[in-house]
Amino acid sequence: MARKPRRLPPEKPADTRQSIRNIFGLLADYKLKLSLTVICGILTTVFSVISPLLIGLATTAIFEGINSGNMNLEYIINLLILCVILYVISAIFSYLQSYSLLQITTDISYNLRKDLIEKVTHLSMGGLDSNTRGDILSRITNDVDSLQTGLVQTFNQLLTGVVTIIGVTIMMLSINLWLTITTVILIPVAFLIIAKVTKFSQDYYLKQLEYRGRLNGQIEESFTGHEIIRSFNQEEESMEIFKEDNENWYEQEWKSKFFSSISTPLIRFISNFQYVIISVLGAVFVLQNAIAVGDILAFIQYAKNFTTPIEQITRIMNMVQTAMAASERIFRFLEVDVEENPSKEQINEINEGIIFENVNFGYNEDEMVIKDLSFTVKKGEKIAIVGETGAGKTTIVKLLMRFYDLNSGAIKIDGVNITNYDKHSLRSLVGMVLQDTWLFNDTICNNIRYGKLDASDEEVLNASKEANADHFIRQIPEGYQKELNEDVDNISHGQKQLLTIARTILSNKQILVLDEATSSVDTRTEKLIQKSMDQLMEDRTSFIIAHRLSTVRDADKIIVIDDGHIIEQGTHEELMEQKGYYYNTLNTQKGRVSYD
Amino acid sequence: MNLSKTLKTIRKLISPLKKSIIPLFLIFLFLLVDVYCNLTLPTYTANIVDIGIKNTDFDYIINVGAMMMAMVLIGMLSTIALSYFSSKVSAAYGRDLRKISYEKILKFSNFELNKISRASLITRNTNDVYQIQIFLGLFFTTILFAPILGIGSIIKSMKLGTNLLWIIAVTFAATFIPLFIIFIKMTPYFDVMQKLTDKINQISREILMGMPVIKAFVRQDYEEERFEEANAKFKDVNLRVFKILLIMLPVMNLILNLMIVLILYFGAYDAINGEILTGTIIAFIQYATQIVMSFLMLGGFLIMIPRVLVSGRRVAEVVNTEITIRDGPIDKIDDNPTIEFKNVSYKYPGSENEIIKNINFKLEKGKTTAIIGGTGSGKSTILNLIPRLQDVTGGEILLNGKNIKDYKLSTLRERISYTPQKAILFQGTIRSNMQIGKADASDDEIEKALKMAEVDFIESLDDEVSQGAVNFSGGQKQRLQLARSIIGKRDFYLFDDVFLALDMNTEAKVKENIRDLKENASILIISQRISTIMDADEIIVIDEGEIVDKGRHDYLRENCDIYREIVSSQIERSRDLLYEEEESNFIIDTHSLKNPTGGK
Repeated sequence: MARKPRRLPPEKPADTRQSIRNIFGLLADYKLKLSLTVICGILTTVFSVISPLLIGLATTAIFEGINSGNMNLEYIINLLILCVILYVISAIFSYLQSYSLLQITTDISYNLRKDLIEKVTHLSMGGLDSNTRGDILSRITNDVDSLQTGLVQTFNQLLTGVVTIIGVTIMMLSINLWLTITTVILIPVAFLIIAKVTKFSQDYYLKQLEYRGRLNGQIEESFTGHEIIRSFNQEEESMEIFKEDNENWYEQEWKSKFFSSISTPLIRFISNFQYVIISVLGAVFVLQNAIAVGDILAFIQYAKNFTTPIEQITRIMNMVQTAMAASERIFRFLEVDVEENPSKEQINEINEGIIFENVNFGYNEDEMVIKDLSFTVKKGEKIAIVGETGAGKTTIVKLLMRFYDLNSGAIKIDGVNITNYDKHSLRSLVGMVLQDTWLFNDTICNNIRYGKLDASDEEVLNASKEANADHFIRQIPEGYQKELNEDVDNISHGQKQLLTIARTILSNKQILVLDEATSSVDTRTEKLIQKSMDQLMEDRTSFIIAHRLSTVRDADKIIVIDDGHIIEQGTHEELMEQKGYYYNTLNTQKGRVSYD
Repeated sequence: MNLSKTLKTIRKLISPLKKSIIPLFLIFLFLLVDVYCNLTLPTYTANIVDIGIKNTDFDYIINVGAMMMAMVLIGMLSTIALSYFSSKVSAAYGRDLRKISYEKILKFSNFELNKISRASLITRNTNDVYQIQIFLGLFFTTILFAPILGIGSIIKSMKLGTNLLWIIAVTFAATFIPLFIIFIKMTPYFDVMQKLTDKINQISREILMGMPVIKAFVRQDYEEERFEEANAKFKDVNLRVFKILLIMLPVMNLILNLMIVLILYFGAYDAINGEILTGTIIAFIQYATQIVMSFLMLGGFLIMIPRVLVSGRRVAEVVNTEITIRDGPIDKIDDNPTIEFKNVSYKYPGSENEIIKNINFKLEKGKTTAIIGGTGSGKSTILNLIPRLQDVTGGEILLNGKNIKDYKLSTLRERISYTPQKAILFQGTIRSNMQIGKADASDDEIEKALKMAEVDFIESLDDEVSQGAVNFSGGQKQRLQLARSIIGKRDFYLFDDVFLALDMNTEAKVKENIRDLKENASILIISQRISTIMDADEIIVIDEGEIVDKGRHDYLRENCDIYREIVSSQIERSRDLLYEEEESNFIIDTHSLKNPTGGK
């Protein structure tokens, strides 16, 4: 169980201005739709802002009708009809606004996801270190989602919120200045209170989060080490640690919950306070004939329209921040350099051989992994690369594939430096079988066909037979149509390896790389795979990285690598005769098992 | 969903709340006060308009205004008090439920651990409890508030004595029926959306993991197309679903507004007949809005319930699990004890297949016993039965002639040192980990044990051990764990393939160092490696759960086919080894990507 960073960093973009610029850049492609959204947003708000006034007028008319005993029904009905029309129009625009926003944002997310994946597939191997993969994945999924949510919320709430506040203020002012002032003056107070409380609760929230992480970690650890706890009679000790962590979290948790929930009653208090002021002051103004009775109703509705957006705006501020941080992560990744492939020169076959000439390479400048490495491989030869962990064996084939570029020296195929060729065409010459298998969530048939996308069913079948995979596939009820599950763990590791071999056989490459292909399977399966690999290597130029003598012995040439150098090379017999490093290693390995 | 089962689940889960009766009562009280205060406001407004303004009574208006202020203040204070108690009660509830389930899980045997799976138990004890706790907090403050406010508003609006109540009923029907239909119609689409989200995750994951292969096969375009297919479909479904869902909000607003228009329209007619006053209409509008809104809110929360119930059921399952391994009465063990397996067999409850059967052997002081056999032959099961990590299902294990089930668990386990194949250390320091093996171990003792286990890579006993001990390599962890196992004096030392993670040199040294252990104790070693066990006093060869033969190395090599086979295959394989086995440099790292959305 890996230890994850438990404490969430406060989600804030490092460069707010840049991330706003990036987001605007995204939106720039949707000028027309965006204007439509904004216009619809303004219209819907304007229409909805007018109607409380009409409602107020109708109420006043009723009030006067009651007082005078002469109800002007026609006037009231006309007002109400107008109201209904406004409501309907407002609803339509409101829908149009959110629909066009939906179109924009889903399109943006779609494009971002697409760009991100294209970035991934074009990244150089150096850009794809295994520790950043989870991070990239979360950019494709989580970050794109939070950006979309952020955009929708910003536009829906912020835009309509601001327009509403402006519109409502104007409408209120048109009714009565003093009533407006007393209502509006409470708004900054509300803001202030919310800001204070939020900041206060934020501290508790972070603390709470830390203690929660600690507790969860403790639980995870105990359940993983359950046997140890039981067999060493540690139940009470474990319970004590748990109780302490649990209690600590509880202390922070309830405070965090309490302080974060306290803003709701405070805001409700403000809005109720407004309500009271409007009722009382409004009544006084009515008596002074400054406003009409219906204006009180109108004001009550306006005041409600006023506090709601404010509440929403404070709530979405966090979301906006998260979205900006997300967009920052997305864009930072999109800016990473992709693998360059300047040459269009195609290479379709190998005729003579491969030469490594004084190759020097390091993953970073000051630490060379491959040092002054030179050797030749003739077409059709099997070359085995042996050496201890970290000697640089796999790096050699990575360089041949041009996953990385050399620091100095050259690798040549038929005398031509491989940098002169199109990378894709170079890689198309090479087939790889690695220790870790990579298959995907699809049928067995399609996984084999991956080696040659336009292969017929018969070709797939033949390749599978050659790889000794046909037998086990036929034993599965669904056969070739068997769907590999998402984790690709519904077939055994050995079977997976047979499928990757079949895939490579089907692809019919001239150069082969076999990197520890059998090291994580049991002895019986190993024999089977070995057989398939022999089949595969026939007539092909092959690079074999292995730690088994039986795999290495038959190679046309064995290269012994230590610390990036070639220390010995030759056939098995030659090396045994030299009585050097290779010979010694073999003997010490044997010595270890000499118990009979 | 079985109703009585659901009720039982709920009852079980509610039990930790029992001790919070008084705060719960206060929560309910403050909730009522809060709702009451909120409900009085529209009536007061009506009075201001219908009495104060009509009679031009300034004093009346001011008085009513003061009353309203008082209500608003009381309302706020009771809401704050409500938040206080509900935060405390729900957090305490979470704490207690977590404790109950943690305590329970600590008593689980291996069978229960494997049945539910440890990963799931972790989630249940952390996340699922938290979900319930969050829901409870919401329940007190918001979910309970909504219907009380709604019902209160209904009562209040009835008290106004209007003929307009039917309008509320109509509005109700007009909002709920379309909402319900949309919701029902959309539910299958949510499933589709979830599946597509998973698909996008899956393909992204595959691409990220398989980059070396993709590059080698030059399949960038193919992968992009594969992704594109899912991405485009996702976008399409998203548009289709939200196109409909987005209708809901404007339509709801519209209906609410139309309700107000209707009230005014029919109110005006009633006003002609003197049946209603203006202030009453204003108040009625407020109440009507509150009624509809609060029930809409409630509907929104009800959607959460099935999800919480899932969490609830998962936690209840843990809490309801019956503990199978219990204490016996005997709490003393004589010196120089022996353990004897008598026709022992084990099978998973409900399974036909016996994992081990007819196992007979004896552990005694001064003797090293070894068990050898292939993977899945049942070796670890035998070892786990001794400290009763799980119990035999057939036969019996005798300690000094009495069944081990008759001893107190702690008494039995005190005498045993258990070392699993997978090294497990706990967060803390080297010292704190060693003290698990012997609570009062002195620094000298610890250092001696560490030395015996060939721990030569630490600086001091205060060196930190991080969670999961990720700051140590596999071999280092195993050596630390070995030190923990040998630091205390025990009668039985059980080692489950512990030398596998060590290279042969270290293994040889450690074995030499611990040779003296057996003078005062008996040792049981499980291994797949001949070299580890060949000098044992008794080697038990096990195949498919049964003992094939036992004896010393020389005897077995002469007489036991399976043993001979193991020996020759291992020698062949070892001879074939050029270098230590190693991992490839092309890392296709599946583990770090298993759960990309885990944070959600």
